[in-house]
Amino acid sequence: MSGQLEKNDFRHTYRLIAVLVLFVVGAAFARWWAVPETFGQFGRYRGAAVASARTETVPRYVGEETCADCHEDQVELHDKDAHARVPCETCHGPGKEHAEAEGEAPIARPEGKGACLVCHQRLAARPGSFPQIEWREHYKFVGVADESVECTRCHDPHEPLYMDRDLRTARLHPMIHRCRDCHQGREDESLERPENHPPIFECSYCHGPIVEDFAGRTHASVRCTSCHIFFREDESTGRIIRDADPRFCLLCHRAADFRSDDAPPGIEWPAHREEMGTFPEDADKRCIDCHRENIHASEVSQ
Amino acid sequence: MSKELSRRELLKVLGAGSGLLLIHCGPVPPLPGTETDYDWEAHFWGYAIDTTKCIGCNACMRACRAENDVPEGVNRTWVERYRIDAHESVRVDIADKGDYVFEPVAGDVARAFFVPKICNHCEKSVCSQVCPVGASYMSKDGVVLVDHQRCIGCGYCVQACPYGTRYIDPRTHMADKCTLCYHRITRGLQPACVASCPTGARMFGDLKDPKSTLSTVLRQGRYRLLRPEMGTHPKCYYLGLDREVV
Amino acid sequence: MDFVFPNEVNVTWTVMIVLYPYITGLVAGAFIVSSLYHVFGVEALRPVARFSLASAFVFLLFATLPLLIHLGQPTRAFNIMVTPNFTSAMAGFGYIYSAYSLLVVLEIWFVMRSEFIARARRGGLVGLCCRAILLGNLFESDATRAADHRIARVLAGVGIPMACLLHGYVGFLFGSIKANPWWSTPLMFVIFIFSAIVSGIAVLIFHYFVVSWINGWKVDQPCVRSLGRYLWGFMIVAVALELLEIMSIAYKQTEEWEVLGQLIEQKLMITYVILQFLVFSLVPFLLLAISALFKLRDKLANAIIWTAATMLLFQVLLMRWNVVVGGQLLSKSMRGFTDYFPGLWEKEGLAVAAVIFTLPFGILWVFNRIVPLFPNAERRSA
Repeated sequence: MSGQLEKNDFRHTYRLIAVLVLFVVGAAFARWWAVPETFGQFGRYRGAAVASARTETVPRYVGEETCADCHEDQVELHDKDAHARVPCETCHGPGKEHAEAEGEAPIARPEGKGACLVCHQRLAARPGSFPQIEWREHYKFVGVADESVECTRCHDPHEPLYMDRDLRTARLHPMIHRCRDCHQGREDESLERPENHPPIFECSYCHGPIVEDFAGRTHASVRCTSCHIFFREDESTGRIIRDADPRFCLLCHRAADFRSDDAPPGIEWPAHREEMGTFPEDADKRCIDCHRENIHASEVSQ
Repeated sequence: MSKELSRRELLKVLGAGSGLLLIHCGPVPPLPGTETDYDWEAHFWGYAIDTTKCIGCNACMRACRAENDVPEGVNRTWVERYRIDAHESVRVDIADKGDYVFEPVAGDVARAFFVPKICNHCEKSVCSQVCPVGASYMSKDGVVLVDHQRCIGCGYCVQACPYGTRYIDPRTHMADKCTLCYHRITRGLQPACVASCPTGARMFGDLKDPKSTLSTVLRQGRYRLLRPEMGTHPKCYYLGLDREVV
Repeated sequence: MDFVFPNEVNVTWTVMIVLYPYITGLVAGAFIVSSLYHVFGVEALRPVARFSLASAFVFLLFATLPLLIHLGQPTRAFNIMVTPNFTSAMAGFGYIYSAYSLLVVLEIWFVMRSEFIARARRGGLVGLCCRAILLGNLFESDATRAADHRIARVLAGVGIPMACLLHGYVGFLFGSIKANPWWSTPLMFVIFIFSAIVSGIAVLIFHYFVVSWINGWKVDQPCVRSLGRYLWGFMIVAVALELLEIMSIAYKQTEEWEVLGQLIEQKLMITYVILQFLVFSLVPFLLLAISALFKLRDKLANAIIWTAATMLLFQVLLMRWNVVVGGQLLSKSMRGFTDYFPGLWEKEGLAVAAVIFTLPFGILWVFNRIVPLFPNAERRSA
């Protein structure tokens, strides 16, 4: 069927070839023209896009320093108390508009129990060490009869450790309480706790799971309050802090020739750190950073 | 010049995309207020989440929405609540409606915890790999970003992300995602989610700086990655993560 | 098992993305049928050779329409060719699709040049259009015909791997998404090619019968029988591959199966197990086996082949649905499933899908009015 075809027999395709060439050239040109100028500047993307990503959005969360410009007193109090690490805008929302208008524009002032319960509602999934309540239980416990009373009647969110913002004497954590903080009518203060009093001064009352977990660990004989000490700041302020100073561990664990064989394992300090191949950057690493397993689970479900 | 214009018009008619005209408008625009001394080659940003510290308050989610104007129904970050009973039966939920507040739920729980999720800004990000037009990319400082002038909204990146952190914005019809608050971190601020976390569960830092908190924590090696078998080399490091979490 | 990542509640790829691989599959399949004649010289397929080429062409015209409707930014569609990011499996799409379209257009030009010349000579507006298509050159001789034939054959030959590439590539798009265990399999590429061929042959049989019936033509019996046998063969391979894929996952009982098994059980029981396999694969298989293995009267054989072909058209559509939608029902949390069913009137809904799928048949009708696709069709004796 085909036989010998000659060049002439393909002449009718020349125009087609010309059109194809034009098409390809046109397409190549169009492509060249349409590629954005900065495409490929840094990689296979439009270089100018990076600049847009930096400038398209403006920060709305301005940070505590900006808040402190006007609310210095408030911030100072806040920084001394249990909410010190809670950023202002976590509760108050973004402060950009408020700050730019120098306070003329409103800022969120969260109200109602919900505002506190966002963090402090008791949830199984919340870390056991985090203070959390079932508010009805709590109201019952502290003798609040009227359920419409807000948390802020007793706790100032900026200084939650104070029970009463005017007196500034009562403090929240049971370990810090004196009997009179709750039992104001009583003159005599006995060291004995009445039989029927809830055991609120025992760690396990609130921190049951952690205490239970701790009992099974190597340090079970160490008291909670050995590490979680009451730190007195001034006449009326104090808080529970977590002490993790290596010197404290070394009281028992420093190698010494006078120790008996069944004494806790001893080490040379700070040589121990180098032996473990610690990086020089980790010079301020604490014992518990590596030996957490011996203390207690940091998170235990309720 | 007129010849040039007519050629452009012609291309427009041919459907080469009218959007292209806007793009083709000269050198990189200056960055007002931000071109200060930020050197993106000096940093490589990473992220860490200490799940033992997360209290599930969702402050991060609220902050992210306010800072980045994220619409309802899609999320750049969220917090998962895991409740696992004695028979290892796992229940997971999130609070992405209304006020974003987790409510107490009845039921037996052997262990329970919160896990914040966010874009992992993977070193070998699949989303950037599969973007057909180079609209998704990783910046030199290690942040996976979307170019909103090039994205065609095909959704391939959304399918490819093993972590489900990408979405198509219902308003712009383009892919969008966590930018690690690129507008903040390049100004020396922390991402909004980190800046609003009350317990320090979220950590942000520079992997190129051996002295950064993040580097110090990571050197101890006690972290886990999400779905490492995907080969994406995620840069979101989880501390104290339960074995059930993927 | 009920947790879905919050961004996955609404599926991203809708029924439009189901339609897209379906239509490209029809393109690839129809083209391969025409190549069976043009390249491999299967004479029995001669009556549908042009029809299949033209079918490939009209479906090709509409293959990208569902994609454009689905794109968030359709005006930027050409970005994929302007700044392709070649690490993306999708980036080559623009070029592969364009090259393949060009090839099909050229092949039609060479295969049907004589017909276009004849139509151009008849004048009128259509004639003028034909003249334009021929670029004004109406010269024709035995030698040019021989040359056209030879070029067409080369194009058809090149077209086969390209058709496989175009469609296998769509399979690769899915198969390479490692995040999704329902998609992530190297078999996806092959499965897509074979299901494409099945759907291509099926649509030709379906349409050939309908056209013949409307026009009162006699179908070419050897051609139909031959198409039926090809359909049978290809559907066996396609379904076997589809089964193999799922069975190997199921048998290995890996972690993946824990979720995929539930996906099938809870979400895909009807569309996947019952419809795709039990009804629309098994029944056509049996029907085609009967028509291929037993000596049946023409009328009965035709009825069987047409029914089987029509059912296989649905089988492939179901397969696309189960792949595209099924994969998105499974959350990447691996702990739950979402739901999806398209609305009737929404932008990416069923009505639009139906229109998109019907349009190629309309264009094909117009095509046939200009250049007869069945020049030798015989009238059915009354």
